[in-house]
Amino acid sequence: MSKSNSETKYWLISQDELDTWLDGLAHAQALTLVAPREISGVVVYSPVENGGHISKVFTRPVLSVKGVFFPPTERLFTIHKTGQEIRLDESFPERETVVFGVRPCDARGVKLLDSLFLDTNPVDSFYLRRRENTTLIGMACDELGPTCFCTSVGGAPDNPQDMDIMLYKVKGKYLVETLTEKGRFLIPGGEWIETNINPKTALSAGQFQVPKKGKWPEHFNDTYWMKFSERCLSCRACAYVCPTCRCFAIRDERLSRGEFERIRCWDACAGENYRRVAGGHKPRAEKGDRLRNRFYCKFYYYPMEYGLGASSACTGCGRCIDVCPAGVDITEVFSDMEGSV
Amino acid sequence: MSDNPLLPHLGKLVEVRDMAAEIKFFRVELLNGGGKAFKSSQPGQFAFVSAFGLGEAPFGIANASERGPQIDFAIARLGTVTTGLHELGEGDIVGIRGPLGNWFPMKKFKGKNLVVLGGGIGGAPLRPVIQYVLDHRSDYGNLTILWAARRPDLLVFTEEYDEWRASPDTTLHLTVDSPDEKWNHNVGLITGLLERVSPQVDNTVTITCGPPIMIHFVTKMLQEKMGFAPKNNYVTLEARMHCGIGKCGRCNLGEKLICVDGPVFNMEEVGGLLETYL
Repeated sequence: MSKSNSETKYWLISQDELDTWLDGLAHAQALTLVAPREISGVVVYSPVENGGHISKVFTRPVLSVKGVFFPPTERLFTIHKTGQEIRLDESFPERETVVFGVRPCDARGVKLLDSLFLDTNPVDSFYLRRRENTTLIGMACDELGPTCFCTSVGGAPDNPQDMDIMLYKVKGKYLVETLTEKGRFLIPGGEWIETNINPKTALSAGQFQVPKKGKWPEHFNDTYWMKFSERCLSCRACAYVCPTCRCFAIRDERLSRGEFERIRCWDACAGENYRRVAGGHKPRAEKGDRLRNRFYCKFYYYPMEYGLGASSACTGCGRCIDVCPAGVDITEVFSDMEGSV
Repeated sequence: MSDNPLLPHLGKLVEVRDMAAEIKFFRVELLNGGGKAFKSSQPGQFAFVSAFGLGEAPFGIANASERGPQIDFAIARLGTVTTGLHELGEGDIVGIRGPLGNWFPMKKFKGKNLVVLGGGIGGAPLRPVIQYVLDHRSDYGNLTILWAARRPDLLVFTEEYDEWRASPDTTLHLTVDSPDEKWNHNVGLITGLLERVSPQVDNTVTITCGPPIMIHFVTKMLQEKMGFAPKNNYVTLEARMHCGIGKCGRCNLGEKLICVDGPVFNMEEVGGLLETYL
């Protein structure tokens, strides 16, 4: 979605100016502001009604930003039954949304979902509208979490790519960089001081040697996967927090007498019955088969299916490591796989 | 007109009848001029059928589009959606999404002998292949149909056997695992029948659909015992699917998606996949 950044501009603003700007966006009638917000002790991307709701301290929200574009549960249409008559009604998301505080790993995740929902036909009607109506305001990381490894998969804590606006903390102030037309539209005119400071920070996340795409096929039948997955509980928390896991299920739910909705909701390949077909045949019966599928999806299948070239479908956010109750660590796979048999 | 690829067309059931034990035949007529793409659907493609309020599931299209504007399905009652569909009758409305997936390259098969192997409800997506060959009979060599089921009452499209047999250079071989007292055809697995029929390998392609285990042993026998090249053994595969358009991730077979890269593959392609279809 990024347009040419030939007109990129920088502004240097104070904490007060930032707060005023965000508070203005939060109160704007025409749009919804989504920002990191502390709810029940954890920070998540959530709608905020005023600037005070926005969490000032966070490394990254516990859930990725994917839910803004691809909600955990989404109505595809409603079904009205009267006798033998059937009527289907659709409605599409039209609300303008601004997301503030997007971490670079999450913007990368959105870009990776684009390759599936937008760049591969047929285009997803719901995702497309949300993507078109949403502006991403990024925040460069000034601190890294212990499980972050974005730089190992081609990202960086200060990478403005795939953002509309990017903010960097610079000596107690914020450097604001506009990257797209959409982003420039949100900048208040005339009040901020333009600057030409180079925003680059020097942070670098954990460095792992990620096996290249071409290395994956030869390790597919290694016994390693079964051993590695012994601790996996098939709980699917990894997929829930992942910025790029996008498997979904479609089903009908009853609303009231004669009224139903067809919904889609997030699903995950680690689930035991994910592949079960009517009649009982259940491929990928072992959890080792399923966990392997998750890693292969990130580093081989998804890149092959959706034309990512040498890039992987992992953003290095590290959330799956944080959230796994059994200590399954994706970065362990990188080092183990090359030596596995 | 909606741009939502997950929105089905509405279709009216114009014919519903019992075809075999727990298997019904459905004929659908699309309403409101919807689903124009079905007019040129190809043998091997599939569609999602909705039982509104219960959900939707993928089924092989069971008729050649050249035979008429209606769409046929043979559906076994196995789960929630299929049970819901079995409860519907003529005049009821279903949802139809498709046609989806790739197809058997019938034009490429011109001039060749065809061996069609169907197991149980797996015969449904093969019926359009048979119809297409019958309707373009001079374009193809011998058509040998091997049709199998667990029991005689599970055989599909039995009322069409006479039409198939009446076509020139066409033979039909039937087998069941468990015969009843009236059964006077072969008994045993389709692999046994295949060995007995022993089709010519030269200038011949095979087309197989059935349970994964049947596909496995049939294609193994074709290649290892009979000397077929894997590229001449076509199969159509099934997998659980929720979208059918390459998005939901559910039907991947290694790096391929059965819904958009398949469901039709030749064994050379499938043999190269990381995962097996078993």
